[in-house]
Amino acid sequence: MKLLVCLKQILDPDVPARDFQIDPAAKAARRGGANLVTNIFCENAVETALQFREAATAEVKITALCYGESSAEDCLRKAMAMTVDEACLVERDGNTNPDAAAVGRVLAAAIRRLEQDGGPFDAVLVGRESGDWGVGQTGGLLAEELGRPALGFVESLQPGNGGVTLRRQTDVGIEVAEAEPPFLVTITNNEDNVPRIPKTRDVMMSYRKPLQKLSLADLELDSEEIRTGSSIFEVEEIFIPADEVECELAEGDTLEERVDQLAKRIHQVVASIG
Amino acid sequence: MDPTQATREVFWNIEYTWLVYVLMVPTLAVFGWGFWLKIRRWRAGQPEVRFDRLGERMQLFLKNAVGQGRTIKRRYAGIFHTLVYTGFIVLFLATTVVAIHHDTPLHIMKGHFYLIFQSLTVDIFGLFVMVGVALAAIRRWISKPKLLVYTDEASWILVTIFVMALTGFMIEGWRIAVTDDPWAAWSPIGNLFALASDPLMSDAAMQTGHVAIWWFHLVVAFGWIAWVPFSKMSHVFTAPLNIFTANLDGYGGSLKTIDFETAERFGINHLGDFTWKDLLDFDACTECGRCTDVCPANTVGKSLSPRDIILDLQALMHKRGDTVLVSGNGDNGNGSGEVELLPIIDQKTAVSPEALFACTTCAACMEACPVHIEQMPKIVDARRYLVMEEADFPEGMMDMMNSLESRQHPFAGTQFSRVDWTEGLDIDVMAEMDDPHEAEVLMWVGCGGALVERNRNTVRATAKLLQKAGVKFAILGREESCTGDPARRVGNEFLFEMLAKGNVETMQRYGVRKVVTSCPHCFNSFRNEYPQFGGSYEVYHHSQFLDQLLESGRLDGNGAAVSSNGSSTITFHDPCYLGRHNGEYDAPRNLLAKLGDARQVEMERSRNTSFCCGGGGGMAFVDEPPDQRVNQERAQEAVDTGADVVAVGCPFCATMLDDGVNARRGDRDVKVKDVAELLWDAVGEPGQAAP
Repeated sequence: MKLLVCLKQILDPDVPARDFQIDPAAKAARRGGANLVTNIFCENAVETALQFREAATAEVKITALCYGESSAEDCLRKAMAMTVDEACLVERDGNTNPDAAAVGRVLAAAIRRLEQDGGPFDAVLVGRESGDWGVGQTGGLLAEELGRPALGFVESLQPGNGGVTLRRQTDVGIEVAEAEPPFLVTITNNEDNVPRIPKTRDVMMSYRKPLQKLSLADLELDSEEIRTGSSIFEVEEIFIPADEVECELAEGDTLEERVDQLAKRIHQVVASIG
Repeated sequence: MDPTQATREVFWNIEYTWLVYVLMVPTLAVFGWGFWLKIRRWRAGQPEVRFDRLGERMQLFLKNAVGQGRTIKRRYAGIFHTLVYTGFIVLFLATTVVAIHHDTPLHIMKGHFYLIFQSLTVDIFGLFVMVGVALAAIRRWISKPKLLVYTDEASWILVTIFVMALTGFMIEGWRIAVTDDPWAAWSPIGNLFALASDPLMSDAAMQTGHVAIWWFHLVVAFGWIAWVPFSKMSHVFTAPLNIFTANLDGYGGSLKTIDFETAERFGINHLGDFTWKDLLDFDACTECGRCTDVCPANTVGKSLSPRDIILDLQALMHKRGDTVLVSGNGDNGNGSGEVELLPIIDQKTAVSPEALFACTTCAACMEACPVHIEQMPKIVDARRYLVMEEADFPEGMMDMMNSLESRQHPFAGTQFSRVDWTEGLDIDVMAEMDDPHEAEVLMWVGCGGALVERNRNTVRATAKLLQKAGVKFAILGREESCTGDPARRVGNEFLFEMLAKGNVETMQRYGVRKVVTSCPHCFNSFRNEYPQFGGSYEVYHHSQFLDQLLESGRLDGNGAAVSSNGSSTITFHDPCYLGRHNGEYDAPRNLLAKLGDARQVEMERSRNTSFCCGGGGGMAFVDEPPDQRVNQERAQEAVDTGADVVAVGCPFCATMLDDGVNARRGDRDVKVKDVAELLWDAVGEPGQAAP
């Protein structure tokens, strides 16, 4: 079997609030002092794929794919350190925040290219959403581009009777499904797919493994069109909400009076919020 | 009677004396073979340079082997060991004198020398041996402290030594009685035996008894000598050798680097990966248990026992060392000849992952060991294997390492940046200076100082004190990365190396020569570990630097009191990485002594026997079970001194002890404060008391 996991490199969501900066003109976050990391749900997807490989009796090959700037090579190297077999980077040229539809088109083109060379992927795994914009559309749009069935919020893949058994989280509980390849799933986190820490030897080896690089031109995609032509939404404005704290002290001579005063204010505030 | 003619007959009453020499041959052969087996195993270990700096080694040897410097630190054991040890030396010399006198033309056993040394001194030291063994037996069989290992072997050692001494006095006494030795008074113990036997036994009976006991004494003694290399009595030889070849560079520099390009395995999970010195360590252990007795993890009830780690590895080496080490092959133990590594990390032994990951790397075990066994680096070596080869470690350490990898600091989820603490202080950041070389000192803030709310006061106080003293300093700001200490202690040498190389490069770019830091872990890395990566600096812990500023008058520390009530009692908690690892105990105390009318009290475990706060070795990032918290054990000790301020000199100690003291202080107001905070409170400008 062949699995493909899509990765996205994002600004560290754990950056201290005071270090988080935005560029209102460019309508994007500024790098500032923040680090670049692999989106956590993408790492959950890598871990889910690795666990599927470990549980499978047949040979399973895992490929990692990323559309990003050259720095995103780090994410792919880390995936290879986690023992993903192959990696491919589609290099982004200055398009700072392509929307999900554009990303879906690029990833679909890259997947078709990889399939031309190495045969079809039985399953494509995509993180459920990214930790920067949190749009959560890439998986679905990519499935549409590829013309494959998709299932969201999957937390595990297990080899099943002839197909793959999927567990997905729903509002009312866990749903177990059998799926016939090829298909696409978006992966969410649970306590079992916490990304593993790679072994040091695998980290070292990850730098020696080949990493395929493709440009938009290689995929015969018009970069200008990817940049502008497929917007599903437009960012109007970007700002950091002011963190205003109003502090009032309940007054009164006795504790009872102060409690009384506090209760009245709470009523007023709740009423004003409606 | 002419004392110059005093002597005694060697082999009095003994026939077939040639048999002594015949029996000596197999005795010495077995003795030699036993040690040859040991040496052969040690030599199969990896290379390590431990025969350099002979002068320093000889000094250490004289102090702690010949002088028993560390052994005597425990009073009871120190006394009985000294009695037996000195007795053995004197009795060995006496036997040598007899041999020279009898078997060479030098008849030295006569006259005053015979009377004073060979009779009186030998008798006294023979008594020492018996008293020493009796004291040891009382401890082993009656008081039974927890730190000992209760084996039959240990009991037999006491019994045989006692029997040898006792039979020695018996044969001496009977010889004195039967020969009516004119010099009897010079052998008081033997004479006592003679006087006691005289009315009870005929001369003939004593003579017969003498022959029987004489041969019995000889057989026991020869058997004992042959047994030495196969019992823990071998420490008589392995311990002095181990002390001579000890690590001379302090505990702070005791971890080895790894050549990642050539290493077959990272870390150790195989006997053959130990160096010869590690293997010698296993054989040098005397089972005294002091390491485990002082181990903070063991004290609070965790499974870590440095003593049992060493003894389990010793047992493994004795059982399988010849196949695994000497044959040079791996061994799977089933005789199939397959090459397979014999793992040393084993859930069923003391070398379990759980125990290994309980170590705070405080080095209390190494400091307590009378024979200089190096337990902590072996624990880290095994951790290295688990972390780098198996990726197997506790969850808290995983978050810490993830954060180190992606954010170059271990505090996942911190809400502070590396420069937030400088707000309003006007501190130079090297990258923003026209000429970074203008800064005479790099103030290394450390992750624990910049990113943990509680410690930001400490680094602010340090910076303000440096400013007040007119020190030209700067920080690296966002360019600072973790020194890698937590990664290294946890066993991720690879990550440590990456961080270290990165920092060395940054510091090289700014031409940094002098570093001041308020974190002893960073201090230790710079002082002992960065030179291995090309970074050599003049490094100061902030307590040392501030103390110098006070001494030189650049800071004025007189007059002010530590707290508003003016009668503070302070107890200083020695950080392991400042104290034991780097030998600095005085600077922080000097500094505290200059704080107005504050009174210093010491905890029972202080200076080189200080008890870890529980935060070293990556343990600050691990959730300890509520009933096994090292920090609370230490906090209790601090609270029990009656002090109202627990002074610290380390950001990890500060957070660990803050938590601990809050849990254990009861209704009392006890504060944990860094020495810099206390000093700033004392010398800061009016109105600036709270940095």
